Amino acid sequence: MYASKKYWMIAWILVLPALLIRIFTTIYPIIETFHISLFEVKLLQGIRRFVGLDNYVQLFHDSKMITSIRFTAIFVVGSMIGHIVLGIILALILNMKFSGQKVLRTIVLLPWAMPMVVIAMASKWAFNNEYGLINDFIRRFAPSFNLDWLIYTNTARSAVIAVDLWKDLPFFAILVLAGLQFISSDMYEAAKIDGAGSIRSFFSITLPLISRNILMLSIFFTMWRITSFDVVYAMTSGGPGESTALIAYRVTTEAFTNLNTGYAASIAVVLFLVMAVLSGLSMSAAKRVDY
Amino acid sequence: MIPKNSRSVPLTLTIWGLAAIVAFLILFPLWWIFISSITPAGELFSKPVKYWPAHPTLDSYRYLIKNVGLLPKIGNTAIIVGLSILIGMVISVMAAFSFARFRTRGLSIAVGFLLASMLIPDVVTARPLYDFLRSVHLYDTYTGLIILYISGILPFTILILQNYLNDIPVSIEESASIDGCGFFQSMFYVTIPLLRPALATVCIVNFITCLNNFFTPLFYSNGISVLSTAITQLPLRDNMYAVPWDLVSAMGWIIILPIIIFVAIFQRQIMEGIMAGGVKG
Repeated sequence: MYASKKYWMIAWILVLPALLIRIFTTIYPIIETFHISLFEVKLLQGIRRFVGLDNYVQLFHDSKMITSIRFTAIFVVGSMIGHIVLGIILALILNMKFSGQKVLRTIVLLPWAMPMVVIAMASKWAFNNEYGLINDFIRRFAPSFNLDWLIYTNTARSAVIAVDLWKDLPFFAILVLAGLQFISSDMYEAAKIDGAGSIRSFFSITLPLISRNILMLSIFFTMWRITSFDVVYAMTSGGPGESTALIAYRVTTEAFTNLNTGYAASIAVVLFLVMAVLSGLSMSAAKRVDY
Repeated sequence: MIPKNSRSVPLTLTIWGLAAIVAFLILFPLWWIFISSITPAGELFSKPVKYWPAHPTLDSYRYLIKNVGLLPKIGNTAIIVGLSILIGMVISVMAAFSFARFRTRGLSIAVGFLLASMLIPDVVTARPLYDFLRSVHLYDTYTGLIILYISGILPFTILILQNYLNDIPVSIEESASIDGCGFFQSMFYVTIPLLRPALATVCIVNFITCLNNFFTPLFYSNGISVLSTAITQLPLRDNMYAVPWDLVSAMGWIIILPIIIFVAIFQRQIMEGIMAGGVKG
């Protein structure tokens, strides 16, 4: 409508505030991140010198970093398998018609709306061996059960993944539900006439039709997992040892606690590149899976 | 998925059972946080865990108000979240309107940039942004925090509003201009009122997003304390259980109670907002 030349100025003036804010908060700092990743900056010792790609070389030889990368991979894969399998089941429950459906949908929204820090702090308490909710619950079935979840690598990692699932899986399910609601009921009726049972129609109709939705969601949720940080910040502080220090958590501790700004920047750059590759993949996946 | 009339009694019971399990898994931890918050500190460390305190007390809440400065934190949160949403919405409507209605060279690049900037994680930009904010004296100021909060909600808001505007026919504005409306008049009196449902939905989702923003106040403020970070800043007690669980659960409950009420009231709009963002995103 407003194609004529005289509107171009209005168009840009309207966009300007949004653009300026985003440039100020993302573009400038990301360029600076690339820049300082080439320096050795140790604020505590007052060191600042150009080192080229040394930070990156160091990164792949640093055993702490390798632990972080490994746990981030475990965290992302474990959490995403949980999200997809349990999320689809929960979405199917939410999609069924029963009295109380509305109430259940409201309840399912709650974890999404709550801050992760609060949940993570409470979880630290919940996973306490003596006074926590989780073990108390297990002891009702196995009275001699004794386990300090957050002091062993594997159990601490499982606990972190479980908390992450509690917080975000309901949200994932709601988004899958959005996909489910686009499927017309005619298809199920047709399948029923052809003699398909509910399990058959789930695998032949539901799953193929929501597969694109699930793929896109999985990519976004994977990206959020790769950059998550507050769950371990509040729940384990990266411990025991370094076993639950997600990469994003490591970036912030290097940058704000250890004040190795240059090294932190190089980790940040790697994180950014991973995100860029993933989003590129997601775009091509979106095009290919379209039908 | 299965037509209602064909459902057998065992199946109905199964569905109810599953729904009950889901509800229990979500609600029980919240209940437990509440119970912990009204249990006296000494009684918290009892075995087995008690799900109803013998001597319920509001001591933790009193302590938070008196000694931890709960009220100023609530005030700060209200100021920052309120202004961020208000200003953020104005900026977003302007940008979304421009993106949806104008075809000027370079504008589509601006859209692409805004969307692409969503992919830059907070942790990647944190340290340079922190140094920059210090150098321009915006660190630990309301202005600085509000700018960062606004920045956080802009891309999502613009995306949703633009999608919504694309569905509003331009002819409505054209007929307004034939009736003598100027450009801004038709924007204010014709288009924006039509946007109202989308604005309400986006506002509600942004309210939750801003309220829960943890990263921004954690790294870019120190003196100005808000609710979302308050739970990690509680004073440690020097006994064997260094973390003050009674205070943590009271603070947690103070943060989540308003959210529970809010979600219950706006369940429908939140669902729509999430789905609008999720399906198209």
